[in-house]
Amino acid sequence: MEKIQLQCLNFLAYKCERYNNGESSSIKVDVAESIMKSNLYTIGTYLKSLPDTECAVNELQKGSITDIYQKGRKLVDNKVKAAKHFYKLNQSNKLITKNYTYNATLSDKGIGIFFKAYDPEYEAHEFPASIDYQLCNPVSDLVGVEFILQYLKNLYLENEFCSKFSAKDIHYLLCGYDESYQELLINIFEQVLTTALGCVLTHRNPEKLAISPKEIHDLYKDIAGYATHTLDLLIYQASEKLIEELNITSSSLRKYIDKSLPRITTNLVHAIKMNNLEKVFVSQINPDLEPKIMFSSGVKMDDSDYRKLIDELLLCRYSSDKLVLIKERVKSFDDLEDVLFDGQLNKEELPLVFEFLGDVEIAALINRHPFISDIQAVDLSEEEKALRLHLNEYIGQISLERQERIYKIMAAFPRESF
Amino acid sequence: MEVSNIVICNHGYIPSLILKQAVTEIEKCNSYTSQFGLTLSHQEAIELVETRSLALQSNGRIEFGGGVTNKIIKEFCHSPYVSKHNYAETLHELIEMFYFYKNETLDLLSDEELIKFMKTNFDGKCQGSLELLAGRELANMARNLRYGYSMDYSDNMAEEEEDNDGEY
Repeated sequence: MEKIQLQCLNFLAYKCERYNNGESSSIKVDVAESIMKSNLYTIGTYLKSLPDTECAVNELQKGSITDIYQKGRKLVDNKVKAAKHFYKLNQSNKLITKNYTYNATLSDKGIGIFFKAYDPEYEAHEFPASIDYQLCNPVSDLVGVEFILQYLKNLYLENEFCSKFSAKDIHYLLCGYDESYQELLINIFEQVLTTALGCVLTHRNPEKLAISPKEIHDLYKDIAGYATHTLDLLIYQASEKLIEELNITSSSLRKYIDKSLPRITTNLVHAIKMNNLEKVFVSQINPDLEPKIMFSSGVKMDDSDYRKLIDELLLCRYSSDKLVLIKERVKSFDDLEDVLFDGQLNKEELPLVFEFLGDVEIAALINRHPFISDIQAVDLSEEEKALRLHLNEYIGQISLERQERIYKIMAAFPRESF
Repeated sequence: MEVSNIVICNHGYIPSLILKQAVTEIEKCNSYTSQFGLTLSHQEAIELVETRSLALQSNGRIEFGGGVTNKIIKEFCHSPYVSKHNYAETLHELIEMFYFYKNETLDLLSDEELIKFMKTNFDGKCQGSLELLAGRELANMARNLRYGYSMDYSDNMAEEEEDNDGEY
């Protein structure tokens, strides 16, 4: 044991000397630690490649650490090459999706960084890459190039499975899961596999990924009383049928699907307990078919008329006079917004103006001027801050039914209309 | 490289064999430095090795091989400001300074470059003052390197440039 430790120390000394180009006899402890970890990682990579522990022990006892390191280094280099190959494969079978983390992870600024920044000589155990996309079966026990390679292999299998479905169907499915799925840290494969299994269970064509809410409700009635092991079996049988229907022949993909099933069953068991099966088996939503409210603010008044109105407003002594002026003269939403800023209305007058606005106008106002915290509002003008604050207070005072109506209208506004 | 040459100081543990070897190496320098009337006793050599270990430990560094003590001795022994009265004391300070500024210069200088800089300024601008060397020359040089300037860049130079341009 001591012999191995001393050899490791000697090798560390050699590597540190190389790291310093022979120009410095000392090195920072944290750098030396990192080099030591890198050396041990490379040595470990080779030892793990041996058939069993006994072989590894023999190799350590008989071989020199330098030789073992060199063999490990060759393996690390090969793994980097393999990772590059899988990265290219992933680029070619990449899904067409709007999910940000998926696209960012598979870009040159995501995993692509690894191939530029990885240093197998002194930091073989690190994996410098930006990986935010979560896999259905996360890689948890590996580091360095082994992690990247396994991640890319798993992602390739997930892509391979998802490519059996049309990008449009996956998009509608994910919209059904959450309309803003583009920004969520979700795993696409898991959603697709779960819904495909749901299709099999409801005797629908899994390739379409379409289950209706009624079918989900009926399925709930059928399986609500099942024990966990029965659900396990049910999901397993469904997966077998799914693999057959989708004509999946790759054994590694079949294994990967099998590995993902316990996670899906757990979600299913939990959903049955909570009576929300529709959160596991999701119905598709076509966002283009959802009713939308088109909001048009009307024609703005002439600049000189507007100045006159503001002058008159500033001369008004009573709030009631101001309100009458606004009611009579302001005909467009953009003018109203300007008046709210320029009219120097106080905290009693602003709610009175909101009072004579309809739900749509209030919804449009909130959309344009949402209430945010003081820290976030640091760049806003005082008038803007006051408007947002009083609008928020006003919303808090109105009835819950009206609040709900307003929020529904807000949700129906197309994003690009503001 | 032999195992006995490795000094791992962050654990505060120095095997006696390594200590002995380092002391012997320092004592060997006496044959060279004696021509300048400078020698170190066995006890002083031991103390220098301990100072080196403590300096490495306090600066979070680890050293392989013989270290830089011998290089510092051989560089500074012919300084006009080093005599038998301050020889050992100066070496202690120089060793501490050396490791401190290895970190402060972000390892951008090699051992030899740093020792050379220390010697040139110790004999030149500082006229044998270790305080000026550490507190002014080395500190300025380290700051220059950290900010991406050349080693000998000074604020006066910047002011002169501004005056010449006449723009400021």
